[in-house]
Amino acid sequence: MNLLDVLIIPKDDAVAFTFFTGYMAMLAAAIFFFFERSRVDDKWKTSLLVSGLITFIAAVHYYYMRDYYVATGENPTSLRYIDWTLTVPLMCVEFYLLTKAAGAKLSLLWKLIIASVWMLVAGYIGEAFNPEGGDSTHSVLWGFISTLGYLYILYTAWFGEVAQLAAASDNEVVKRGVRILAWFVLVGWAIYPIGYMCMPGGWLNTAFGWGSENVDLFYNIADAINKIGFGLVVYNIAITSSKKVQTA
Amino acid sequence: MTKEIFIFIASVLLLMPILSVFGEISFSTQFLFCAPFIFMIGIPHGAIDNVLHGRDAPHQKQYFILVYLLIIGFNVILWMSFPLLAYVLFLGISAYHFGQSQFSHYFKRQKLIHQFSYLLWGVSILSALILFNLSEIHSWMNDYPEFALFSPIHQLNSLVLTFGISSILTFGSLFWLLHNRAFTVSSFFMECLIFLLILAAFYLTPLIIGFTLYFIILHSFKVLGEEFRFLRAEKEVSSVLSFLKLLAPFSLLSFLGLGLVFALIYFNLLIIPYGYALLIIISSITLPHVFVMDHFYKLLFRNNFYQQKEKG
Repeated sequence: MNLLDVLIIPKDDAVAFTFFTGYMAMLAAAIFFFFERSRVDDKWKTSLLVSGLITFIAAVHYYYMRDYYVATGENPTSLRYIDWTLTVPLMCVEFYLLTKAAGAKLSLLWKLIIASVWMLVAGYIGEAFNPEGGDSTHSVLWGFISTLGYLYILYTAWFGEVAQLAAASDNEVVKRGVRILAWFVLVGWAIYPIGYMCMPGGWLNTAFGWGSENVDLFYNIADAINKIGFGLVVYNIAITSSKKVQTA
Repeated sequence: MTKEIFIFIASVLLLMPILSVFGEISFSTQFLFCAPFIFMIGIPHGAIDNVLHGRDAPHQKQYFILVYLLIIGFNVILWMSFPLLAYVLFLGISAYHFGQSQFSHYFKRQKLIHQFSYLLWGVSILSALILFNLSEIHSWMNDYPEFALFSPIHQLNSLVLTFGISSILTFGSLFWLLHNRAFTVSSFFMECLIFLLILAAFYLTPLIIGFTLYFIILHSFKVLGEEFRFLRAEKEVSSVLSFLKLLAPFSLLSFLGLGLVFALIYFNLLIIPYGYALLIIISSITLPHVFVMDHFYKLLFRNNFYQQKEKG
């Protein structure tokens, strides 16, 4: 009976709905990437493994987050950030792996990881330590600091080392793939701040009255787009590149 | 994505939440923060009109200055006689100019449909700027009777209609350009994103700040970059420093002219509000600038400037 109680999804609760679909989608994507790994060229196997790990880690966290949300009706902030602390640096690993053949150095990977951790830690402080009822100054300050990390990654993907290495690569598939991933950072990652600004005291909360229930809605949508979409782009690069090698 | 777009995105993302903490920002405070950028970057982007025109017609310098001054004179007289018409003309030519600088690099030559797209895009963003900041504009109109003359333009219904129709047609023209391969898919999405970001910036920031963000970063920087690259290719300038030297004389002359008008107002020799005087001055330097820039872009198309840049 308890299990049935926990699994009830109110018909009008879009957040709970997206938690459940998010969980299944992440798990399905992880299985897909793990199985497809055997179909690609050796040099792409690690990339697909990382894509699978990103969605698998997210699926496990979503499994806990959906129950936490349905049981308490609260935002599972800690679980969310634990998930991101593991998966976002792994997305940066994808950038490194894609551009490794074009000469990417380990320092690039570390710079991207530091920027992503900076972005997440600042976001976590802004969200988890937001005073009761919300504090605009706290929210804006940590949001501002977090955005600096995001902008560094955005710059690197579009103009910096990642973009330059992709441009120098002789593989057209990699060039196109890195460009699509840069789009994910530009548009997909930009959904997260919308969720962040819905928390009490957040800018969208104070200016437009968007409630804190929207925080998880935006985060779930953004996660589905970025984690699964990101993985599918990597998969597409891997499979297209592998086919070219086989036909050559 | 260009670096200007990156700077615009970064500025919008970092500024918008900060501005929300400050709450309502008065017109004078907005102007205090924005004026240095408008004067140091905005005015210089139009300070080498004589040089740009001179590249195409080197023997017409005196004729060019005469026509330039006549257009300015005509505009000032228009403002004195028919301010509403002058205001509409100012908005219209600005709309065309903004659209032209936004899209010109996509085309190999300028067709009528391209010019139509320029105008639509510009009308859409300028109507959005007014529509999204209507309460701020209405408060000026209440404070200064000169601004109240523009009330027919600042009607909510007509603005919603203008913004709605021009935005739909703008997206239609973007689709058309994509369909005709003037745009790549990536360029199409980038232009849609920029358009939405500009609208968001206008909606979420006060009037002067929102406009300055667009005008300085997306418009003036882009035009300055094109001017610099063109003049460097023409061996008119060799470095950024020599380009800045070229910008300096007419920029300084504009500052002096502006200072003179403000001094006349200060000593009650000219009885109009500072804001209204600024509007007339800006529109007077914009009108001939738009003609020169239209000519300049045609010159770029003739010289295959954008194709050469792609190859380079």
